[in-house]
Amino acid sequence: MPEVNTDKIFAAFLLRLEEVAQIEDFDDIEKEFLGKNSLLSEERKSLSSLNEVSRKKYGKLLQDLSNNITSKLDEEKTKFKSKFFIQRELNDNNDISIDWYKNLGSKNHVLTNVMNEVVDIFAAIGYTVSTGPEAETSWHNFDALNTPDWHPARYESDTLYLDNKLEKLLRTQTSTVQVRHMQNNKPPVYIVAPGRVYRSDQLDATHSPVFHQIEGLAVDENLTFSDLKGTLEYFVKEFFGKDLKTKFIPHFFPFTEPSAEVLVSWKDGEWLEILGCGMVDPNVFKHVGYDTDSHGFAFGVGVERLAMIRYGIDHIKNFYENDLRFLRQF
Amino acid sequence: MKILKSWLNDWIDIENISNSDISEALESLGFEIENKKELNPNYENIVVGKVLEIYEHPNADKVRITKTDVGNNIYEIVCGAWNFDVGAVVPVALPNSKIKDNFKIDKRDIRGIQSNGMICSASELDLWDDHDGILLLDDKLLPGTDFSTIYSSNDFIWEVGVTPNRGDCMSYLGIARELSGYFNKKLKTKKSNLKPTISNILNAGSGKIKECNSYGSVEVENFNVTNSSFEMRYRLTQVGTRIINNVVDITNYILYDIGQPLHAFDRDKLFGTISVRKAKNNEKITTLDTQVRKLDSNDLVITDNDKPIALAGVMGGLETEVSETTTNLLIESAYFDKVSIMKTSRKLNLISDASIRFERGIDYKIQRYGLERFLMELKDNQAINYSEINVDDKGSLKNKKVILKYSEIKKLLGIDLKESFIKKVLKFLMIDSEVNKESVQFTPPSWRYDLDRPVDLIEEFAKHYGFNNFESTLPQGVHKNNKGSYWDLKSYLSSVFTSNNFQEVQTLSFVNNDKNFLFNPEKKYVEVFNAIDQSSKFMRSNLMSSLIDVYKLNYDQNNLSNSYFEINTVFDTSKNKIYEDVPNQNIVLGFLTSSTLSNTDTRLKDQELDLYYVKNILTQLLSSYDLEPITKPGFHQNYSFSIIKNGQIIGHFGQLASETQMTFEFNNEIYLGEIYINKLKLNDLKEINYVPLSQYPFVKFDLSFSVPIDLSAHLLVDEINDLLRENENSIEIFDDFQQENSRNLGIRIITRSYEKTYDDNETREILMNISKTLESKFNITLNSSKND
Repeated sequence: MPEVNTDKIFAAFLLRLEEVAQIEDFDDIEKEFLGKNSLLSEERKSLSSLNEVSRKKYGKLLQDLSNNITSKLDEEKTKFKSKFFIQRELNDNNDISIDWYKNLGSKNHVLTNVMNEVVDIFAAIGYTVSTGPEAETSWHNFDALNTPDWHPARYESDTLYLDNKLEKLLRTQTSTVQVRHMQNNKPPVYIVAPGRVYRSDQLDATHSPVFHQIEGLAVDENLTFSDLKGTLEYFVKEFFGKDLKTKFIPHFFPFTEPSAEVLVSWKDGEWLEILGCGMVDPNVFKHVGYDTDSHGFAFGVGVERLAMIRYGIDHIKNFYENDLRFLRQF
Repeated sequence: MKILKSWLNDWIDIENISNSDISEALESLGFEIENKKELNPNYENIVVGKVLEIYEHPNADKVRITKTDVGNNIYEIVCGAWNFDVGAVVPVALPNSKIKDNFKIDKRDIRGIQSNGMICSASELDLWDDHDGILLLDDKLLPGTDFSTIYSSNDFIWEVGVTPNRGDCMSYLGIARELSGYFNKKLKTKKSNLKPTISNILNAGSGKIKECNSYGSVEVENFNVTNSSFEMRYRLTQVGTRIINNVVDITNYILYDIGQPLHAFDRDKLFGTISVRKAKNNEKITTLDTQVRKLDSNDLVITDNDKPIALAGVMGGLETEVSETTTNLLIESAYFDKVSIMKTSRKLNLISDASIRFERGIDYKIQRYGLERFLMELKDNQAINYSEINVDDKGSLKNKKVILKYSEIKKLLGIDLKESFIKKVLKFLMIDSEVNKESVQFTPPSWRYDLDRPVDLIEEFAKHYGFNNFESTLPQGVHKNNKGSYWDLKSYLSSVFTSNNFQEVQTLSFVNNDKNFLFNPEKKYVEVFNAIDQSSKFMRSNLMSSLIDVYKLNYDQNNLSNSYFEINTVFDTSKNKIYEDVPNQNIVLGFLTSSTLSNTDTRLKDQELDLYYVKNILTQLLSSYDLEPITKPGFHQNYSFSIIKNGQIIGHFGQLASETQMTFEFNNEIYLGEIYINKLKLNDLKEINYVPLSQYPFVKFDLSFSVPIDLSAHLLVDEINDLLRENENSIEIFDDFQQENSRNLGIRIITRSYEKTYDDNETREILMNISKTLESKFNITLNSSKND
């Protein structure tokens, strides 16, 4: 019959549990009370020497002890664990309100963002991007666009020339791309041309010798003034938001007729000019070698203006100074 | 152009139309409203007074005492101005009134005499600048009349933009014509009622040149230089013109009113035949502004016995100017050619209200009317004698007939217009026309130069139909979601640089010579002929100089060391291979970073990096490429490389030359380069070669070799890759240790067979094979090997 008092063993086990300081101690306790060399294992080995009745009785006693130890151990271990991790995380209490990291992610220039957005808006309705040179001929910049020799825009006070005969210049408008594109491509034409243009202005709050425009041109059978209107209303809504009101007022550009300016009603109800547009003038078609009976429309929008309106940017100078305090805001 | 409502009302009855309706009309007619505002008196409680008596002040000799009738009272008022006499009718600020800018006027003791208010000048009432003293009013005004009722003191003014094709709208008459169509109101006419009293003593004509289509003139005698009427001075001030005297004011007034510039000569300074001709080269004239102008054969001059007396259409001559003592006048009203006037005015940088109108084209039938109106206004101002009006008109200007087919309207505008609408618009526009079933034949009026093609009239129809009344339709283009190769490439390149925390910048394209010379001394630079700023008159030949400036700016101002890139055009004078007839220009991507970057974690020190960091970005960008050392101006002698892809140089990068680095006072090394976008194809860059994954465990060796100083380590990697070409490999250099003349290179090889697990013998064999091959091929020695 039993040589050991199971109650004593369990009491010893409970005492040991109280000493637990770290999670590994549970493994030691388990080894000590249930492992190969434990008293319990020793006693089990001796079971074979007992008669059947005693064996069964004593065997059950030992099994109960083993079960009790195991379940108590699991219970305590779980308790300890949860307490332990709670305690451990309790110390992790850094102040999340501090911005240690100043990485603001990848940044394009705000003008690039605006140009990308405009291109995307037009790509969605079937326009592709076309380009042309920035140092241009006066013919592409003026004559082909129905701007005669004596026109004020051609004066040296407005246009930057590259030679004394005034035959080469820095393009003053991306409309030159219209001309280049039509010279090299037959209709149908659906293009947008984003790019740099130049004027003879000192850099200040409202002027820059360099700025960006996006020209658009569509030439196709049966294009009418209504198509021009619908296209630009679509653009304005996509860019500025669906609720914005637009209106078209008559204007004058040498290379379109009729010509219009598009205004949008901005936050305070003020009407702001957004872009110029019109039906391509027959003289332009003539100059690029198209049938003068062709129909199409063109428009031009100032990229800086779009950005200034949308973000409330006060100085055009900011775009070209490249101060990180400005650049990182977009 | 500034439009005063009360003045416009002279031409069309709009007094009762609301200002907002007028604004809308102006805008829909194509006049952009630049500014608009209500005008109200800047004073309170001012009445008309009549000076009854004037006497000396007992204690002061600079002021006088007046007895002034202000209607219900006669007040003693002290006054310091001396330009009036007994009987003068003047504005009086009564006690408890306000003059300009809320300045309160009350009874006041002036050296022992109580002054009951103040007699006012024009400027004290914020009317116009006046140096004469007291504002003298019409004698017929009754004392006590509220001053603000004697003119349109509550008015409205619009400042509108007139597009360059609409010279005819540079006058009240022109604007009124447009509005009369819009509001369907009749244009008022101003009748002239003239009876010449003297005969012409001068002979004036338009000369032989076609640039002067007509020259009208009239002579005036017994004239006094004085002030123009109160109303005229008020109106001219509101539209921004300085008040001078009656003759100048009236010529200005007629110019604004009907668009015909006039010029007044002192007739007593003229001698013979007045005519128009082209100037001779180097001929001189002194203009009103006392400048001596050197002329050439493009300029038009008015001559007196062939001697130039005025620069036609631009500015009068000093010698024949009207002065205080002028008593006889010759008034000119002519039509000069647009282009001639424009050229002269721009060449001499003399832009006047007259030249602007001639440039845009004035009504070629209005010269006589201009003189009639002048005489009428002057006659109202004072008693004069005047001659017959004489207009020498060559009749060479005539607007031609144009035929517009209705089908063209439909094609351009997409709408069918009713015949009644067409007729109505033609009538508004005062266009002579014959409307048929399928077309309209029209002749534009003498003031419209912008209606010489069918499309020009279509525009008028569209405008009067109302742009905002058109339907909106959205046609679809033929390139759905295809932005084209250039845009895709640019977007891809940007994305690689931004994902490596490079900030994109946009810098100006103009630089000084040094900035081009630093990196491109071999090139000839494109120069701006009329540069804005002589210190930056060249178009840049590289983007790197601009990026250095941006780096420096943010380093100095914001204490930030950052990475930058820009995609833009660079220029030089070599032959352009794509576009004929223009200088060479290429779009390049320039980039710049530094050996020490401001850390994004503010707790840490700056991030250190080196040229290999930049090389890694090129690898991300280009996937496969070669580098070839090349000596380049501005670059470090050893760290300067051509980037080669598919056998073509596609860019260049390296480290900024130490000397340049010092010049810019940079403590950090600068790494920079350029990639030539037109040499790249997006498909080549995004090339992907998939390598299947082996299912077997890897073997790994770390080998250390003694190698020559100048060995290109990549050759060893290539060789190992070749030896293990049947396997899935990762071969990396993990150490490059140099000391004096010895150099050790550590190579880590991780390799997996696609067929089996290597046993120890096989592993050793692979190791042996690699070390033997490398040793014999590159003359290097294996120092140690480690395998696990």
